[in-house]
Amino acid sequence: MTTTAPPAARSLETVGLTKSFGGVHAVRDATVTFQPGKINALIGPNGSGKTTFFNCVTGMIKPDAGSVTFHGEDITRRPPHRIARAGIGRSFQLCRVFPRMTVLENMLVAVSRSRFRELLKGAHNPEEIDKARALLVRVGIDHLENTEARNLSYGQQKLLELAGVLMGDPDTIMLDEPAGGVNPALIGRIGTLVQELNAEGRTFLVVEHNMDMVMSLSHHVIVFDRGRPIAEGTPDVVQSDPRVLEAYLGV
Amino acid sequence: MALVVGVALVLSFPTIAPNPYILSAGIVVLSYACTATAWNFMGGFTGYVSLGHAAFFGLGAYGTGLLIRDVGLPSFAAWLLAGALVLLITIPVGIAALRVRGASFVIVSISFVLILLLVFQGWGSFTGGSDGLVVPRPFPDMLRPQHHETFFYLFAALLTVMLVVWWLIDRSRFGTGLKAVREDEDKAQALGVPTRNYKLVAYVVSATFTGLAGGMYALWFGDLDPIFQFSIMLGAYMVLMALLGGVRHLFGPLLGAFIVGTGLEYFKLEFGDTQFHLVAAALLLGAVVLFMPDGIIPAVTGLVRRFGPQESSIREVTAAELLERNGGTSPVPQPGATAGSDGSRTTSEAAPPDPNDEEDPR
Repeated sequence: MTTTAPPAARSLETVGLTKSFGGVHAVRDATVTFQPGKINALIGPNGSGKTTFFNCVTGMIKPDAGSVTFHGEDITRRPPHRIARAGIGRSFQLCRVFPRMTVLENMLVAVSRSRFRELLKGAHNPEEIDKARALLVRVGIDHLENTEARNLSYGQQKLLELAGVLMGDPDTIMLDEPAGGVNPALIGRIGTLVQELNAEGRTFLVVEHNMDMVMSLSHHVIVFDRGRPIAEGTPDVVQSDPRVLEAYLGV
Repeated sequence: MALVVGVALVLSFPTIAPNPYILSAGIVVLSYACTATAWNFMGGFTGYVSLGHAAFFGLGAYGTGLLIRDVGLPSFAAWLLAGALVLLITIPVGIAALRVRGASFVIVSISFVLILLLVFQGWGSFTGGSDGLVVPRPFPDMLRPQHHETFFYLFAALLTVMLVVWWLIDRSRFGTGLKAVREDEDKAQALGVPTRNYKLVAYVVSATFTGLAGGMYALWFGDLDPIFQFSIMLGAYMVLMALLGGVRHLFGPLLGAFIVGTGLEYFKLEFGDTQFHLVAAALLLGAVVLFMPDGIIPAVTGLVRRFGPQESSIREVTAAELLERNGGTSPVPQPGATAGSDGSRTTSEAAPPDPNDEEDPR
């Protein structure tokens, strides 16, 4: 396997992160510390601000206030490509691949991010292509290498998206609903992949609605409600927390 | 093979052309091919449709003419310097224009060419205004047929340089990043592609080549008028030609320029000053958008593949093979694995959703 595990898990935390859209406070004063080297899950009812929080951390949205710190470095308001380069990879809620590019080309996007002077170096080198193929084998879609991504099934696109993120060797991977819209067999496969990648030392941050997956997979669960974390702990602790039951069931 | 024949045909055109008029029409077609190929550095790679590329054509043309007339530079030194000036002007213009995407970018690109049109028309003391600017010929001793022949080869050489650069970018890591911008800009950025800088480089390369084509046109034609150099129509032709041939293909814009350019020259010859050529161009654009949204090259290769010798796109697969192909881990047959892997489904817009894969647990 050509994927090299990062040397040490790096910490990711937010302090007082806030983002409003008009009068709607999507995320307010969210202070969250993710456990490095662990699988962290972010759960909460619909509209509790999970995806907005996610987008603030990865730079897709500029937060109104607060800060994001990655391994002691302030990455707040950095453009998304610099956050990606710093080592945070992400997937999207509705799986996004490059539809009119082949599976192999999709894989190579993450390593096309060279600095300007490297642009002139020309074509992708054989090591990159070997690495891409090895990752495709790992997620099980290597036989589709020359297929345009739009011709893949939704499940295969999910696997391609994950493999594409891995091409950039991120040590922290943020997945937005990895189980959304895929069949149970594939959910199991994605779960296994996440566990394997975590065992290699990568930190995960997973937004997910599938409670079976969250409870079986994660080491640390953070519960969001109305834009801020209301509880956190191991899956067992969180499941029996009355505030969590209230947020979900409204009792 | 087809490439060799094509090159041979282009190179022998000046000798087989029956008269200087046909030869000059050939030069016009080649200059269109240059502009469409230059446009495709931006439009084809990044998907940003600029309708205002005539701005760079005009700047290159006027830059060349004015540097010869007012500075007294030798013709081809003026041409190169004008190209460099277009490059420098494009950087701030690109930074501003690329702040927006989609339809807004189209509007910004049009407004730039309109601004330049007004400036060059209004500032008559400098540009000659609507009276035109006469550009001295680079080869004053040449007779007209020789002059045409020389410029035919000069345009062919410029086009060759562009095609080589396009081909190099197409297979480079830079090209992969640009195509990712075309497909999904936010996603590309999330994967670490510095999309803004990539787009800017593509824009500047595209504009500079367009400017060089404009400068070459000025040297050949010798008479510039803002209404023709900074023309929305010229920018629209570039888009039409590139779309017609196929923006994802190296020779797409060249093929489109050959068809549109030949057609335009034919209509102008047969119908003179009528506007029939505009009607024909509009009908052609409609036909392309309706029937060949990807352009002629993909449409034709798709047809050849469909009727030529091929592996059947529906082939029998045993359950064991299917299991093996899916890595043995997924018990669900996945349609892309059987139908898409031989690349024969170029005409379908998207794979039909697999009902097994679409169960939404929410």
